[in-house]
This record gives sequence, structure tokens and C-alpha cells, in this order.
Amino acid sequence: MEKTGSAVDTKNLVKVYKGETRALDGIDLTVEAGIAFALLGPNGAGKTTLIRILTTQLKPTTGEACVFGLNVTREGSKIRRLISYVPQEMSVWTDISGYENLLMYAKIFGIPSQERENIIHEALENMGLDQVSDNLVSTYSGGMVRRLEIASAMLIKPKIMFLDEPTIGLDPSAKKVVWARLTNFKKQHGVTVFFNTHYMDEADLYSDRIAIINRGKIVKQGTAEELKRSIGGEVILFNLRNTDVSEESLRRLRSVETVKDVNLTNSELSILVEDAETSLPQIMDLLRNEGIKTEKISITKPTLDDVFLKYAGARLETSGRISEVTQMRRMIRKG
Amino acid sequence: MRDAVRNMFVMIELELRRLRHDRTELYFRAVQPVLWIVVFGPVMGSVRGIPTPGNIPYTDFITPGVLIQSTTFLCIFYGLMMVWERDSGILKKLLVTPASRYSMVIGRSMASGVRAIFQGLIIVPVALIIGVRFYPNPAYFISAFIIIFFASGGFAAISILVASFMKTRERFMGIGQAIIMPLFFASNALYPLQMMPQALQYFSAVNPMSYVVDATRGLMITGDLTNLLVDLAAIAVFDIVMFILASISFKRIIE
Repeated sequence: MEKTGSAVDTKNLVKVYKGETRALDGIDLTVEAGIAFALLGPNGAGKTTLIRILTTQLKPTTGEACVFGLNVTREGSKIRRLISYVPQEMSVWTDISGYENLLMYAKIFGIPSQERENIIHEALENMGLDQVSDNLVSTYSGGMVRRLEIASAMLIKPKIMFLDEPTIGLDPSAKKVVWARLTNFKKQHGVTVFFNTHYMDEADLYSDRIAIINRGKIVKQGTAEELKRSIGGEVILFNLRNTDVSEESLRRLRSVETVKDVNLTNSELSILVEDAETSLPQIMDLLRNEGIKTEKISITKPTLDDVFLKYAGARLETSGRISEVTQMRRMIRKG
Repeated sequence: MRDAVRNMFVMIELELRRLRHDRTELYFRAVQPVLWIVVFGPVMGSVRGIPTPGNIPYTDFITPGVLIQSTTFLCIFYGLMMVWERDSGILKKLLVTPASRYSMVIGRSMASGVRAIFQGLIIVPVALIIGVRFYPNPAYFISAFIIIFFASGGFAAISILVASFMKTRERFMGIGQAIIMPLFFASNALYPLQMMPQALQYFSAVNPMSYVVDATRGLMITGDLTNLLVDLAAIAVFDIVMFILASISFKRIIE
């Protein structure tokens, strides 16, 4: 399965934890070199497990995975020379300064002493941390810590960067800055960027290709445009007054000729149609007959969330997840 | 091998940098050993119930033992930091660097020796003030600290080994105590081996702390070096065995 052109290659990759939890359930994935690749999925979908296998931290239960043609199980030490990695959790020492953190990592990476200074300052500048580099990391904000972590991944010029939720807990403007810098770094050094995210906008804006993962399986992949086009048409979103919609009603809705897909989550009924203007009257009639009362109707072009909804059968529930992770990061910061 | 040595120095440098920013932990950790030397030693010494070799004052006798106990404490809890680092992303990130895993284990373990030395340097002046007479030979004194440094690596490796079986910090806290106290009380730190029941003497013979205490006591207090070679050999074997076991079990920490 050695393909020299691809950065990541997996074949029927399975990871079972403690003989029961099936975190990855047969992943087939190919990522070309030089692109930004987003693995999009909800909490528990297997994103982190996949990244940890590709970065040689975990061994797959069955199946194969290669990074630049090197097998993760047999050639781990060679892979570790080519990659850099930012875990989801906090990965810097808080009781020393930002500069010292990078210095420690530079030494661990074996960067020659005469180049160290320049490389560290470049990375700090890249991430906009040069003003605070001598302050203790414990005085940094969450966003600054994340930028420092990404800076440390930029110390070596890796062939591929693995970023596990790179902008988690960052505010929108910080997110934008981080991605601008990352994109620039990727262009400058021809680095492949492989990132996990549960933010659809992030996958949409900053990736060249997206794979949607749910319950350990890749359910769909392509460019953001392709994915959106693949479900086609428009989405009519109904906010319902009553949430008890029977299976029978849903079945009837699905049987309407112009309806391509129907999904109900809580009190939101989303219906995928080719053309909203012509289908709406028919759908409204049907809803009224079924006794379903609507509060609000909106019509949108499909987003990645709709793509996810169609292929994974659920919404990407983001809000609860973010607060959970930021809480954890805060807890870790306190030590 | 070169990697391992480089890693060790990076980890040691990391500890030095941490200590430069914040030494409160060392000061607080010094409270307990200082109490042993300042309160327990003189009180027990006044009873004159414990025969000491060469009839040295009891406080002088226990000073190396208390010193080793406190540095061992420090090293055992150093393993706790590895558990903490597993909860955070630091360990994950370190594992993805080109550094080999065993070099990480040895490097981290030896780095605990840096803390141990600084801890010792806080306790020694207190002992001097209280009137403990150290053996007046700087070379012996320095050798004692070198021994403490290397022995610390082994004790830290014990904690890495134990930490690899503990999934939470809370559990480790209790276990940490449960390791140190038997090592301390079933060693020659507080009383000569001959005073112990036979069973404890056997245990003491495989207790690494006894050898470390014996070596440092000889170098720092009595100047009696007859057992030094045996002690050094025992410490070397202890270090090597613990490094190997900790390296093997280290995998468990990651998964």
C-alpha cells in the first residue's frame, strides 16, 4: 500500500479499546501531500483516536496506516522525525516562560544550537507571541497558550502537522489569526496540515478536503463544495411548536416527490428539497394535515452541518462540547 | 544513547528553569525533615535509648536518613507529575518527538535528582545550625550529593512504574505514602539495623534506601567507608532494574 504521493494512507483501520469500545471501525482514508485536510465529526466520533494512531502513540487493533509511506506500527521512529503534533489538551509547561517552552522543545527536537535562537523567535513572531515570550505561561490567556502550542509545532519544518482541535476555546478573531498564520506556514514550507475539528466553519474555510467521521467510520469525503453539492438543493427548516411528530408523519413527508431528505432533531424539522419555492406549499399542506404546527420557517443553502446531518443522521452538537473542553483546559491550568 | 543523554540534560535543564521561577514546593517540603532533625532528633537523643555507631549524637546519626527520606519523597511524587502530564497533553507531545521512550523515562527520572539536590541544600544548613557535625571533607560531601542524585533517579523510576498502573492522581497520592513509609521505617534511617527484628532486617537488605542512607552517612557524618562499594553496587543495580521496569511499563501510561 505504499503510495509515495500521499501523506496519509489508511486501510481498514480498526481500533478497539479494552476489547469493547470500537473507536475506529474500518477507516479507509487517503490524504494527498501538501493540502489542508479536515477530519470533521462530533465528540466521540474517533477523530482523536485516528490522530493518535497516525502520530504513532497508539497501535491500531487491525488494519494498516502509513504516513508518507512509513508504517505507523513498524516505522514509528522514522515517522516521528517528519511530523509535528498539537494535542487537544494543554501541552506546554505553565511554570516556565513561553520562550523557555520552545527552547526545551527545540532541544528535544535536536535543533542545532546556532539555529535555535532564530527558529524560536520566528515561531514566536509567527504566532504573535514575541511581546510576551518572557512571561510565565501561567499568565497567558487560553488563546495565547494555544498559539504557543502551535508555535512549538512550527519549530521543525515538518512534512505534516497533526492538529487536534487547533482552535478549541479560541474566540473568533483569535481563530482567524491562528489560521492565517497556519495557512501562511503551510504555503511557505509546503507542509501538509491534518486537523480534527468539530467546527464546521473551520473545516469549510480552511481545508482543501474534508472527511466526515461518525462512530468510527468515514461517512463522506470531498471538498467542502463537493460535499454541499452532493446533497444539492435547499434546506427548509421548520421550528415546530410541538415536538411529538410520529414516525408515520415523517414517512409521509419523505414520500413527497420533491423531498430528498427529512430529519428531525428536537423541535427542528429540516427538509432537503431541490427547490424550496415550489415544494413549500405541498409540504405545508401535509404538515397541516398531520397536525404539526410550525413556529418559524427558514430556507437556506445547505451547510456542512446539513451535509453531516444527511450522512451521519445527527447534528454536530457543538455548544456543550466546547464548554466541556475549555473547562477541562482551565482545570489543567490550575493544576 | 546520545539521544538519551541529550534528553536527560534537557529534562534536567527544565527542572532547573522551573526551580528558578518557583521554589516554594521545596521550602514546604523541607518543613517535615527539618522537624525530624530539630525536634525528633534531640528529643530521642536525650533518651539515649538508641546505640549509634561510634557514639555519635543521635541527631547526627539520623540526619542523612532524614535527608534521604525527604529526597525520596520528592522523587516518588515526581512520578505524580507524569500522571499529571498524561492528563494534560505534554506527555502525548513528548512521545511524538524523535526522542525514544526509554530516554524519556531515564531523562525524567534523573531530572528528579536535581530537585533532590536542592532539597538537600535547604536541609543541610538547618542541620548545621542545630549542631550536627558533618565529616570535614568537602570531597566526601560532594560525593554524597552525587550519590543522592543518582539514587533519586531510581526512586523516581519506581514512581513512574507505579504511576503507570494508577489512572488517577487521587489514587496515586495514597499509594505514594504507602511506598515511602515502609521504605523509610524499614531502613537504617532512624536506627541501626541490628536493633530491628530479624524479618525487618531481611527486608532492609533489599531496601534500596538502606544502601543510600548507609553510603551518605559514611560520607557525610562518620567517614566510615567500609561498605561504600557494596552500597554503590546496590544503588547501581537498583537504578538499572528500575529504569528497565519503568521503561517497559511506560507504555501503559500512554494508552
